[in-house]
Amino acid sequence: MDIFSDLMMGLSVAITPINILYLLVGAFVGMIVGVIPGFGPSAGLAILLPVTFGMDPIAAIMMLSAIYYGAMYGGTITSILLNTPGESATVASTFDGFPLAKKGRAGPALVMQAAASFVGGTVGVILITILAPMFSQVSRSFGPPEYFLLAVMGMLTLLVMIGANWRLGVISALIGFALGTVGVDLETGQSRYTFGSAELIGGIYFIPIAIGLFGLGELFYAFYTGLHKSGSGGIVQYDKEERFWPTAHDWMSTRWTMVRGSILGFIVGVIPGAGATIASLMAYSTERSMSKHPEKFGTGEMAGLVAPETANNAASSGAMIPLLTLGIPGSASTAVLLAAFLLWGLRPGPLFMEQNPEFAWGLIASMYLGNMALLAISIFAIPLFVLMIKVPYRVLGPSVVVVCALGTFSVNASFVETYIMFGAGIVGFFMRLYGFSPAALVLALVLGPLAEEALRQTMAISRGSFGIFIERTPSLWIIGVTIALVVLLPLMNRFGKTSPGEAEKSGS
Amino acid sequence: MKLFCGRSARSTDPDHSNVRPAMAAIMAGHPAYRDTKHMRIVFLVVFLAAAIYYTYVAFIDLNFLTRTGRPGPGFFPRSIGILGILFILWTLIVDMRDNDREQTDPARWRDVVLLMALCLSYAVMLRLFGGFIATVIFLAITLMILNRGRLRQNAMVAILIPGGVYLLFDRVLNANMPPALFDLPI
Repeated sequence: MDIFSDLMMGLSVAITPINILYLLVGAFVGMIVGVIPGFGPSAGLAILLPVTFGMDPIAAIMMLSAIYYGAMYGGTITSILLNTPGESATVASTFDGFPLAKKGRAGPALVMQAAASFVGGTVGVILITILAPMFSQVSRSFGPPEYFLLAVMGMLTLLVMIGANWRLGVISALIGFALGTVGVDLETGQSRYTFGSAELIGGIYFIPIAIGLFGLGELFYAFYTGLHKSGSGGIVQYDKEERFWPTAHDWMSTRWTMVRGSILGFIVGVIPGAGATIASLMAYSTERSMSKHPEKFGTGEMAGLVAPETANNAASSGAMIPLLTLGIPGSASTAVLLAAFLLWGLRPGPLFMEQNPEFAWGLIASMYLGNMALLAISIFAIPLFVLMIKVPYRVLGPSVVVVCALGTFSVNASFVETYIMFGAGIVGFFMRLYGFSPAALVLALVLGPLAEEALRQTMAISRGSFGIFIERTPSLWIIGVTIALVVLLPLMNRFGKTSPGEAEKSGS
Repeated sequence: MKLFCGRSARSTDPDHSNVRPAMAAIMAGHPAYRDTKHMRIVFLVVFLAAAIYYTYVAFIDLNFLTRTGRPGPGFFPRSIGILGILFILWTLIVDMRDNDREQTDPARWRDVVLLMALCLSYAVMLRLFGGFIATVIFLAITLMILNRGRLRQNAMVAILIPGGVYLLFDRVLNANMPPALFDLPI
């Protein structure tokens, strides 16, 4: 009953005209972010975060969260119609989505992806509603050693999922950690790597780096791949009037796929570092291996589209659990969301739901509403998004540069931060080009200061002994889970014959 | 072999490994193509230099332990710096031993370098002319180069986007727009 009354309270907070308006704007913008190839939710969140500064905190976080999970809906439209994933979490949706469209079933595929996304997202939010308070309860026994180990777990999982380029992932993470050490050391007051600059005393600000790496860096990379030269001739046409809706067979044959995809996606989403891309690829592989007709996968099988779609949406909900209850972001997107929370003076962690019930439950309640809104938007506004796909990238690209630059400046009215953003964009492009992981860098930049503080507190508690990590039961549990993940995740990927390298492409 | 092949860049083949072999062989043999592996090595060497400097400062300026024997401000930077140097060296050695040459079309660089240069000019213009004027100039020049022959469309985008962004940031959100150092007489 407590959960129910909390949820009702959350709904009463979320349902105000202005909050609903921002939620709808966020859902719509999220879909646009998802539709644009090369831009994932991390880029969308980073670029649009400064836009929320003039807003009420609850409305701002509701809008940013809607952008985050809305991108999962939008990314599939291009996967189906153009054989191009709008973002990496919808790569698996191209495997059967595009063949379905080529068979003349684009309409049913678009409706089924919207329905699957809705089911995945809603099951994910229901599980958050039930599990977040429990996670919060458990995490209250956590101290600095556990927080340090959780940060290590998040980084290790991400690096394991990077796969073949893991050494470059480690280097990327170390760069992020190094950038995180810039500024005044809060314990001793000593300046580190500030070189006498007053601008650097507070440290290197997260937002310009995130906007540069994910926004500008991805844009440069898209130009490098020639995206700005390509037209929209490859879009599969779909019939809006006839054969648009799925058949009864489509619904019946995928009902258990939706359940399996939602649960698997949510579990993977909760694991720090794994993310929606891995969840969708795993769900696709699992569904194929469980199917009576695995040979049909890849030729336009509806279950092959529904499985990754439910999984990536459930995973995006699952990733909110470690963020809300531990204050540990599991991906680059949730790292940007964490930055948003911090900007609003909110510190997610074990006591967050207890101390900020209106905020936490308002956000959770808004996710129910957001998923409903996205279901409607993604079915009825498809023609609008098809129009968006047709906007040439050579026109869209320079406009993105403008939003990145002015958005960065608007945060602190700092030209230095704007220049840092441009610099990060150029570095981000080369990182992307040469196989480095911008997602690992950003995650390390956020987790680095948290990990350093936790490690130093741990060492102070234990008087310099690392034995503390195996003396405490919660620490031992985290170490056990970390080892299991590091061993099992690559095996699961191999089992699924999927590319783990997809994980780091967007850091979703 | 990683080459660009038209619209395939927009497909699910980000590494363009589906390029036709015959075409790939012809293009790879062309002297205009550069070895991207060498460029990655250059990139790693830059990181190595930065890591060495970072570690040097950590050892020279920052104490490993505090007076009370607790981890000091140099504890984390020294660990990160040493790990960074080791990993970069390891990757450099692996890259140098690897004979797999990855080549790319220099034409792909043209638009990226151009866009980077325009972005850097935009950064300078923001300081000089302020948010609105700099954005109009940036968009007008960039679209004139990238979206040739569509004068009316370019003019509309170059005016409407800065106008919309100005309204959103300055009027609706009351956020900061870059002020001009010099006001243009318009």
